Amino acid sequence: MDPLNEEQIGKLLRLKKYEQPPPGYFDNFLHEFHRRQRDELLKEPIWRIALQRVQDFLFRLNIPGLASYPAAVTALLICAAVISLKVYQTPETVKVAAQNSVPVVATTTSLPAAQWSLSNPVTTRDLGPSLVRTVKDSSKTHRVAAPPRYVLDSTPVSYEPAFRF
Amino acid sequence: MEQPRSDEDQQLVARTQAGEAAAFDQLVVKYTPRLYGLVYNMTSNHEDTNDLLQDVFSKAYKSIGGFRGKSSFYTWIHSIAVNMTLNFLKKRSRRFHLSLDDMDASVQNDKEFLELTATSSPVREADLSELQRRLNTAMMKLSDEHRAVVTMFHIQGMPHAEISKILKVSEGTVRSRLFYANRQLQNYLDEFRKNPVS
Repeated sequence: MDPLNEEQIGKLLRLKKYEQPPPGYFDNFLHEFHRRQRDELLKEPIWRIALQRVQDFLFRLNIPGLASYPAAVTALLICAAVISLKVYQTPETVKVAAQNSVPVVATTTSLPAAQWSLSNPVTTRDLGPSLVRTVKDSSKTHRVAAPPRYVLDSTPVSYEPAFRF
Repeated sequence: MEQPRSDEDQQLVARTQAGEAAAFDQLVVKYTPRLYGLVYNMTSNHEDTNDLLQDVFSKAYKSIGGFRGKSSFYTWIHSIAVNMTLNFLKKRSRRFHLSLDDMDASVQNDKEFLELTATSSPVREADLSELQRRLNTAMMKLSDEHRAVVTMFHIQGMPHAEISKILKVSEGTVRSRLFYANRQLQNYLDEFRKNPVS
């Protein structure tokens, strides 16, 4: 008995193409496919459906095609320009507010005698956080626009009598 | 088996990508019989084949947005089908049912069938039905990868180059797998013919 050669095996195998599914199977396959698609869609959570819609939308706009290297660089430059413009155009009011918030304290200090001079009769000095009195809104007067008033609580030197006995 | 025209497929793919679901339906109708033969001869089970085919088309529909046309739609859909079937076979326990009863009646008009049964040949010496049944059993003894190659080459009539694209292996690998599978089938069938009761 001769063994089956490769060609005969090939012929036998080719007969398998006649093995067919039950009649009407191919006609119903598409209906079954649609039914399964609907079932799958109903099972999916809303967020996934929304995500899919967004992906479809982006695909139609061909976003991946636009996202080339030059486009990415251009987008980056535009973003950098917008951010830098915003930074440099920040209003000065911030700075002013910072200056106003600095505590101003007028003190008569016990400076060393060497530092006393007529040109520097009064000086300011920071006494540390414990002695700092901050200027609060509540302490401001209602006459904000009025010029500051200076009150001298001692008699000028020139008005004092030269001698007392 | 002749490969379908790819320009027609490209148009249908483009229409599907543009959101026309009916265009994908045409692709389903066109490719179902061909893919059925491929999956069925790898799984040897009608129910599994049906489920797998549904999954194959479902996956293809979901991923068609990413299809850029680097290969033909024919190659692409066959790759999905083969890979999904191989993954399925790895998980599935061995069960199959095939016989010539499943064959379409038109086999009797097939030229090769007439040649095999009419002329004096080794095939004629054995009962053809039984030999075919044994062939199916022998097919299932092959590894999944070898059976895929045999199915695509002998049953689907694909050229080596197309099979290599679908499986993403070299043509040399396809040829060597085919050679090995043929030798295996020869051995199984000869064993049967020498000892028909086994």
